[in-house]
Amino acid sequence: MKIRHNLRAGVAALALVAAGSVQAEVTVLGWPGGPEEAALRAVTEIYNAKADVAEENKVELLFTSRDGFFDKLQVDLAAGSTAFDLNLIATYSIGRYAPYMEPVTLSDQAGTVFGDTVLKTMQFDGKQYGVPTDLSLHFLYYRTDLIDALLADDAAKAKYSEIAQQHLGKAMEPKAPADWTWEDFVANALYFSQSVNPDSPTRYGTVIQAKNLLFNMMVFHSWPRSYGGNWMDDAGNITVDSEAFRTALSQAKLLFDLGATPPDSTSYEYAEANAAYASGQVAAMVQWNAAAGELTAAQAATGTTAPPAGPEGKFTHIHGLGLGLNKAAENKDGAIAFLQWLSTEEAALAYAKAGGAPGLAADTAAKLAADRPDLVQVGDYASNFGFVMNGGTSEKALSVYEAQAKEFTGFWAGTQDLDTALKNATAAMSELLK
Amino acid sequence: MASRQHRENALLASPLVLFLLLILGFPTVLSLIYGFSETSFETLMQPQFSGLQNFRDVLGDPTFWQAAGFSLRFGLITAVLQCALGLALAVYLAPLVRAHPWTVAILIIPMIVAPAMMGLMYRLVLHEFAGPLPHYLYQWFGWSPSFLGPAHVFKTVVLAETLQWTPFAFLLFLTAYQSIPSELREAASVDGARPLRLFWKIEWPLMLPTVFVALFIRFIDGFRVFDNIYTLVGSGPGGSTTSMSIYIYETFLRRGEIGKAMAAAILLFLTAFLLLALGQWLTRRRRP
Repeated sequence: MKIRHNLRAGVAALALVAAGSVQAEVTVLGWPGGPEEAALRAVTEIYNAKADVAEENKVELLFTSRDGFFDKLQVDLAAGSTAFDLNLIATYSIGRYAPYMEPVTLSDQAGTVFGDTVLKTMQFDGKQYGVPTDLSLHFLYYRTDLIDALLADDAAKAKYSEIAQQHLGKAMEPKAPADWTWEDFVANALYFSQSVNPDSPTRYGTVIQAKNLLFNMMVFHSWPRSYGGNWMDDAGNITVDSEAFRTALSQAKLLFDLGATPPDSTSYEYAEANAAYASGQVAAMVQWNAAAGELTAAQAATGTTAPPAGPEGKFTHIHGLGLGLNKAAENKDGAIAFLQWLSTEEAALAYAKAGGAPGLAADTAAKLAADRPDLVQVGDYASNFGFVMNGGTSEKALSVYEAQAKEFTGFWAGTQDLDTALKNATAAMSELLK
Repeated sequence: MASRQHRENALLASPLVLFLLLILGFPTVLSLIYGFSETSFETLMQPQFSGLQNFRDVLGDPTFWQAAGFSLRFGLITAVLQCALGLALAVYLAPLVRAHPWTVAILIIPMIVAPAMMGLMYRLVLHEFAGPLPHYLYQWFGWSPSFLGPAHVFKTVVLAETLQWTPFAFLLFLTAYQSIPSELREAASVDGARPLRLFWKIEWPLMLPTVFVALFIRFIDGFRVFDNIYTLVGSGPGGSTTSMSIYIYETFLRRGEIGKAMAAAILLFLTAFLLLALGQWLTRRRRP
């Protein structure tokens, strides 16, 4: 009797599980951690609370670790995983994942909400593969209290000039960060490093996140680009072994050699570099715009401006993060409906208010000027200084970043010389971008 | 009668054999197919036979040899350190463990932690601005080594691996030490042998086979290290902390060169297999 009762209970439980699996949902694989996750959670709540969203089209979020995220995504997509209907895509990875995704049509508002430039960050071969959720570029973060004190003190200025003369070969004057060239950035980093200037109020003048990691190359690229550097010329020749890259790499190397960036920074990525700045022991750094909230919360006297200039002007690497449709999705209709809603003004404003960083057209960004002034700055820098390296959206773009990360970090850490690093990078890029 | 028993044995063993074939056999066959094919993520279902090309590519890749050198150095150093420390602890703590067996549970705690978690933990603990260790070193001495900087990173990963896996060697040696018949020790003591002489003349020779086994197991484990190094420092500046496993992972996933990665995995497997066979042969040779 008891066995029969247990069997009935088991069958009932199985039936419940089966019924649950029929009731499909829209599963979204998002970018874990950071403001992107918080913003996606917020807009998902708004969407799921809407009366016209059917129960089977409610959105569920799925997050894994950032470590190896794109590798895991590659395997899942190639295997035809149905574990998620929508997944994260980035400008530099669309070409890699396009074979496993489906183009989408966004809402009619998308053009006016984001503008064509931002929509293009989610396009490949002329097709729209996703809705742009976050625009990433770089700010120069600096301690206003330290810079103001330096600019107001003649003795400090003289010391600054002396350090510049000794290490850069010319007597330089300190300037406001908005007017910095990369040489000013280096001189400032040396002045605020105790290894060079024992009286410095900070232990290090800057922090360069130099772990052998592709994202760190994106942060670095604004530097050689401002000297005219590019991955390829218009004829498709690899041009990484150029004066521009040599200059930028050597200037950064000087900061490692003279202790102007923490010695451990060859193992730093985003979080570690932010922790260094947040500790108050770093005077200035180039970092993703997404760090603005975290860094200004930790160091109230923090100013932001565009990265320093080179002979070719100011530049900042730019790319978009977004959500696209998995070709193997089981609930495509529900997934497309969510994507279309995400591309409306209502969703974009809610996403921004919740901490996300969508690249918004000027009119839309103006509606957030009070809540998110940084988004106005993001839009301004994206349109005036934003760049993508030639080949930066190709199928093998991620591998190019990785090849450069291996070679350039090796040079900075002193495991190989500059000629070898550039020769190896050129060879790897020639193979990847042929 | 013997034939019936043979059939019964085969029948009873068959579920295990089937399970192993499914779990280990399928990926092994797939690895062999991909190792001799030109394959990418786009052509996973249509691998093109390419003979030994992937093996030629791997053996001609300087990064492979760099990774092999790192793994060899790392495996040897960590195996020797773990065995030396494990042996010392086993001999020194044997009386304590005999009196309070529960102390073993405390001593093996590091071994229970997942290696990836261990890597993440050290990443936090050793960070110059967020980690407690550099914080207190700065506070007390005004200076701290850059644990994860190029000058010290190898020593740091060796130390992390040693601290985690010494308890494994300790357990092996403790078992071997405790299994030495007490009559031997008593007889040696009656003959006037002092503790050091007792160890070198009686206990050490009897534990030597275990030392060989422990060295081999720890060497192979160190040689194929992945999790803790990858989560702690990744593949290192210029690939300086790239082990064989990290090389295979990055070749497979980062560069999408599946055939080449599988060829490297086959080479790694063959190396480990040959070393194990060598170890077994040496151990057998020592037996009377």
